[in-house]
Amino acid sequence: MTAPLFAIVGHPNKGKSSIVSTLAQDESVTISPIPGTTVDNRYYPMSVDGETLYALVDTPGFQRARAALEWMQKQPGSSVDRANIVRLFVEEHHDDTRFAAECSLLTPILDGAGILYVIDGSRPFGEEYEAEMEILRWTGQPSLALINMIGDSDYSEEWHIALGQYFRIVRIFDAMTADFDRRVQLLLAFGQIREEWRESLETAVRILQEERQRRRNLSAHIIAETISRMLTHTLQRRFSDNAAGNEVRESMQLAYKQDLTAMEQQCRSHVEQTYNHAHLERHEPHVQLLDQDLFATKTWLLFGLTQQQLITTGALGGAATGGVIDLAVGGASLFLGAGIGAMIGGVSAWVTTDRIADIKVLGLPLGGEQLSIGPMRNINFPYVVLGRALYHHQMIEDRTHAHRAPLELEQQPAWLQTVDKDQRKRLEKIFLKLRGQKTLNPDLVDSLAEQIQKLMKLPVSHTTETPA
Amino acid sequence: MTHSSLIGDLVDLDSALKSDRSTDNDRKKQRDRALGRTLQQQRNNPARQIRGWLSQVSINAWKRDGHHAVQLYHVLCVLLTVAGLATGWGLATAVLHYTGNAPINIVNALGLLVLLQILLLLLWCVSTIPNRVPLFGSLQSALRFLNPGRLTRHLARFFPARSRQSLSLVWDTDYATALAPATRWLFSFWSQLFAFCFNIGVLLAAFYLISFSDLAFAWSTTLNIDSATFHHMLKALSWPWHTLFPDAVPSPELIDISRYYRLEEGSLAHAVTASELAAELGQWWPFLVSAVICYGFIPRLLTLLISWLRFRHHLAHALPHLPGAPELLARMNSPLITTAARQPESVADIDVDTGYEATESGSYNLQCALIDWSGTGVNTDTATRQLQAMGISFKELLPAGGTRTTDQDNATIMSLCRLKPQGIAVMVKSWEPPLLEFLDFIHSIREQCNRRQPIIILLWGGADSVTERDHETWQLTLRQLKDPDLHIEAMGSAQ
Repeated sequence: MTAPLFAIVGHPNKGKSSIVSTLAQDESVTISPIPGTTVDNRYYPMSVDGETLYALVDTPGFQRARAALEWMQKQPGSSVDRANIVRLFVEEHHDDTRFAAECSLLTPILDGAGILYVIDGSRPFGEEYEAEMEILRWTGQPSLALINMIGDSDYSEEWHIALGQYFRIVRIFDAMTADFDRRVQLLLAFGQIREEWRESLETAVRILQEERQRRRNLSAHIIAETISRMLTHTLQRRFSDNAAGNEVRESMQLAYKQDLTAMEQQCRSHVEQTYNHAHLERHEPHVQLLDQDLFATKTWLLFGLTQQQLITTGALGGAATGGVIDLAVGGASLFLGAGIGAMIGGVSAWVTTDRIADIKVLGLPLGGEQLSIGPMRNINFPYVVLGRALYHHQMIEDRTHAHRAPLELEQQPAWLQTVDKDQRKRLEKIFLKLRGQKTLNPDLVDSLAEQIQKLMKLPVSHTTETPA
Repeated sequence: MTHSSLIGDLVDLDSALKSDRSTDNDRKKQRDRALGRTLQQQRNNPARQIRGWLSQVSINAWKRDGHHAVQLYHVLCVLLTVAGLATGWGLATAVLHYTGNAPINIVNALGLLVLLQILLLLLWCVSTIPNRVPLFGSLQSALRFLNPGRLTRHLARFFPARSRQSLSLVWDTDYATALAPATRWLFSFWSQLFAFCFNIGVLLAAFYLISFSDLAFAWSTTLNIDSATFHHMLKALSWPWHTLFPDAVPSPELIDISRYYRLEEGSLAHAVTASELAAELGQWWPFLVSAVICYGFIPRLLTLLISWLRFRHHLAHALPHLPGAPELLARMNSPLITTAARQPESVADIDVDTGYEATESGSYNLQCALIDWSGTGVNTDTATRQLQAMGISFKELLPAGGTRTTDQDNATIMSLCRLKPQGIAVMVKSWEPPLLEFLDFIHSIREQCNRRQPIIILLWGGADSVTERDHETWQLTLRQLKDPDLHIEAMGSAQ
C-alpha cells in the first residue's frame, strides 16, 4: 500500500505553510506576507528509517480559480466526469503560466492525495472562496477543511457553515500554538477521511509519541548534566602574594558567572536542537549567583597539598612511626604509639604549614594562598536552574515550527509549587549528593535525569517564581 | 591508524564528537542511525556499540589521535615496568648484600621487603575503599594525591605534544564528569604495575644471589625480643604457606642459632662449627622468598589485576557518558524519523523593489467610478462618506470578482471605459491578499481603457481597521504592476 499523501491547499496567505511547518516540524518553510511565494509543490514525507508513513505536500495558493472553474464548466460531461475534466484542465494547462498555481496544486490531488483545505477563521467568509472549493469538490478526493485561527477575531461559526457544504470534516487548528496533543489529534483526523489511511496514521502517531518521549529523556539528561556541572563547578587560582588576592577575586567572580551562563546557554541550545529548533532566537535573563560570597581561601603547600591533606599525611606518617614501636613491643603499648604518633604528626603539620608557605626555594614559594570560587552551596540554586531549564523545555516542546518570533523567557514560572513533597525530597537528596561531589558522577546525573523526566510531565504554573 | 585499545577509543571518541559538532544535525542523525542499525546486536552494550561506531564512522577533519595515546600509554607502562624491576633488583641487592664478614640481618630484609609492602598495601586498600566514611575522605584524598602513579602524568611531559595531549584527556579536569573513576584506577594501575615489577625485581635478584653466591642470614635487634617471641612472630608471618611449604617456616632451632650480636666484630648466640654455620644460616632464604611472594608478589599481582579490571570497567562505563555520547547513542538506537522536506524550497523571486510605490495622497478631488471587488459588503452610504473624506465622489458602484464570471468582469471594464471617469476606485477586502486574477483585472483596465487615469485601491478592513500587515501585503504585491498612477488607501472600519 502506498503511503497516504495530503495536499495542503487553499487561498494564498491563509497559513498553509504554517500548518506544514508545524506538522512537519520544519523551520525551513518560508512564511511570507506576499501572496504567491510558494510556487512549487514541496513534499514533507514522514518516514521512519526510510519507510514513509504519510506525506504532506505544501502547494501554491489558488490564483485564478474563477477562470479555471469557468474552463471546467464549459467542458461537456456530467457529474461523473468532473474528476476527468479537472484532469483534462491540468493536462491542457500544465505549460500555461496563467494557471501554474492551479495545475501545481491539483496535480497531487489527481494523483490520489487527500485534500486539507486551509482557511483563516479569524477573517470572515467571502464569496471568492466558492470557486476554489467547487474545483476541489470536482476532484472527488477525500477532504478535510482546517480553520486556521491566525488573528484574534473569530468567524469560525460562519466558516463552519460554508465549509460544511463542501467538506465532510471541518476542524479548527491553530498552527502557531498547537501543542503536541493537538498535532496528534489532527493527524488522527486525517485518518478519518479515508479508512485505508487510518493504520498508517495511527502508526505515525505512535512513533511520534515515542519520539517525543525520547526527546524528553534526552533533554532531561542534558539538563541533569548541566545542573550537575554547574553545581560542582569551581575555579581556583593560587598566589603567593597576599596583596594579589583582592585583584583576582573580582575577575574570578566574573569568570565563574560567565562559566555558569555558558553552561546554561549550551544546555538551552542542545535542548532546542533536540526538538529541531536549531535557529531559534532566545531572550532570557542570565542566571543569578545566589550566594553573596562564594569564595574560599586555603593555604596550599609543597607539591600542591592542601593544609588538610598535609595534616592527614603528617598524622599518617606519625601513626606509621608509632606503629613500628607498637610492633616492637609486641602490642604491649596497646597501640598508644600509633595514636600518639598520629597526634604528633598531625599537630606538627598543622603548626608548620604557615612556615612552609613562607619558604622559597630558588625564588619559588613552597606554599601560598589558594583562592577558590564555587561550588555553589546555596540550596535554592539547583532549584532555580532546574526551574529555568524546565520552563525552557516546556516552551520548546510546545513551540510550533511555524512560530518564528524570538522565544521570550523573561517570566519564570513557579514550577516548584507543582512538585509534590516526595519528589522534592528525592530531588534534595540528589542535590545534596551532588553538592558533596568534587567531580561529576554519571550515576548521579542519571538519577537526576530520571527525576527531571517525571517533572517534565507536570504542568508548569505561569506565575512568577519566588525561590524557596 | 587503527588500534583495539579502550583508551585509544576513548581519545578517538572525544575527538570524533568534537569534530562532529559542526556537522549538520540531520546528517548526523542519518549517518548514526544507519550505523546504529548495523550495530543493533550490541545495543545492550553501549560501550561496544560506540566502539563499533568509531570503527565505521567517517567524519570530516577528524584527527584520530587514539593510537598516539595508546603508544604513550604502552611506553609509560614499559617505563614503569623497567623502573619497578630495576628498583626491586637494586633494593634486594642492597638488602641482601653479603661480603662474608657479617650475616644479612633478616629483620632488615623483612622490614624493607615485606613489612613496608604490607603497610603500603594497607594504604592502597584504604585509598580504594568507597568514600562513604566521613573521616576517610581527606585521608583518601591525601593517599590518592600521594599515589606514585600520578607521577606518570608528569613523566608524559617528556613525550611529543600530540601523544601527551591525547592521553591527557584521561586526567583533564574538563572530563572529570565521566572519567574521574577511570583516572583514579589508571593511576592505581600504574602504581601497582610498578610495585608488581618491583617484587619481580626483588625475587629475581634474590634468586640470582642465592644461586650464584652464598648468603648467610641472622637476626639482630636492640629490642628486648627473645627467640621464642621472634619465633611466634615469624610463625604468624609464615602462616599462609606453613602447610604448603613447611621448610619455608623458620624452626625454633634456626631462630635460636641465628641470633646475632655485633659486639666484638659480631658473634652468634650459639656458636657452632663453620660448615654447620654456613648450612644453617643459609636456610633463611626460603622463608624470605616465601614472605616476598606471599606479601609482595601475590598481593601486588591481585591489586594490579583489580586496578586493571576496574580501570577497564570504568573506562568502558565512561565511554557512553563522555559529553555528546548519550546523544550519539540516542541517534544510533532511535528510529530515524524525518518529517521535514528533503528538497530545498523553491520560492518565487518576486521583485517587490521595483521603485514603484502605490502612493497614498489622501485628498484626490476626483470623480471616480467605484468598483466593489469580491463583494466587500460596504454599503453605499459608508462608501460615499469615506470616499468624500478622501476627495473622491462616485456616480456608480460596479461589482466585479467574487462569484461573477470573468466575462462579467470584462463587461464591467468595457462600461468603465465608456464612462471615462477621472479616476477608478476599487474597494477590496484588506484581509484577502491580492490574487493574480485581481492583478489581471487592474491590468485589463489599463489595457482596455488605454488611459492613465488614477486607480485608487481602497482597503476595507471590515469590522476592524486595516492592519499594518495587510496594508504591507497589498503594497508589496501591487508594486509588481509598476504602475505610477496606482494608489492605495485604507478606509476606516465599519464601526
